[in-house]
Amino acid sequence: MNLITGIDVTSSALNAQRTRLDIVAQNIANAQTTRSVDGRPYQRKVVTFETELLRQSGAVRGSAAPTAVRVASIQTDNTPGQKVYDPQNPDAAADGTVTMPNVNLAYEMVDLITATRAYEANLSVAKNARQIAMKTLEIGK
Amino acid sequence: MIDPIFQSGNYQLARKLLDGAVLRQEAIASNIANSETPGYRRMDITGDFASELRARVATMGASATSLADLQPHLAEDPHARTVRPDGNSVEVENELLEMNRNTMEYNFMADVVSYNIKQLRVAITGRTTA
Repeated sequence: MNLITGIDVTSSALNAQRTRLDIVAQNIANAQTTRSVDGRPYQRKVVTFETELLRQSGAVRGSAAPTAVRVASIQTDNTPGQKVYDPQNPDAAADGTVTMPNVNLAYEMVDLITATRAYEANLSVAKNARQIAMKTLEIGK
Repeated sequence: MIDPIFQSGNYQLARKLLDGAVLRQEAIASNIANSETPGYRRMDITGDFASELRARVATMGASATSLADLQPHLAEDPHARTVRPDGNSVEVENELLEMNRNTMEYNFMADVVSYNIKQLRVAITGRTTA
């Protein structure tokens, strides 16, 4: 048992949300990248989460144990990007069009806000857990 | 001689409820951590902890022996409604409010336990200052 209850669960969530923020940052940064490492336009990345059982619950049947969260995978969004007519661009195809990355800034901003709020919610859980631990140490004082 | 203070009904009850509050804090931490996990169902302390506690206090009174084997457990909340298309049933706002309420409850119970111990100190030293 931890002195600060549930802190391992909360820290796993903070980690997962931070990874998501990193990916959003990467998507926004590459919103105009027409030539990525493989020579093709950048494809936006999507983070998926999954639960992770931290420890088996006791012998009692039907009782559940707290579950942490982890990043299950970072997948590539394969929807085709917009084609823009720009013959001057070195990455233009023979017909003069350039395939842009499939990054939609509006989606990314919504994701950014959601991830930030989720991060903040988990931070306030950590703060509360700390307060409970402090109170425990004060018992009898 | 010191038995009567630690046998007090309030002290024993507060001990059990502290266990419950700590476990609920863990459940809430898990719920908020998984608020974006597809298919996650929110968990909480099983309802029979409260009813069993009430029943035991009503029939046998609150004492160390009557409450000894009563432990809170976590389970999926069967009443939670699904709030996201992916089957997740966590409402972060409710969890945060529940967490605040639970922390207040914990603080109060810790004060009750503290108060009992302080009383014992007064009995031993005859002074109120720590």
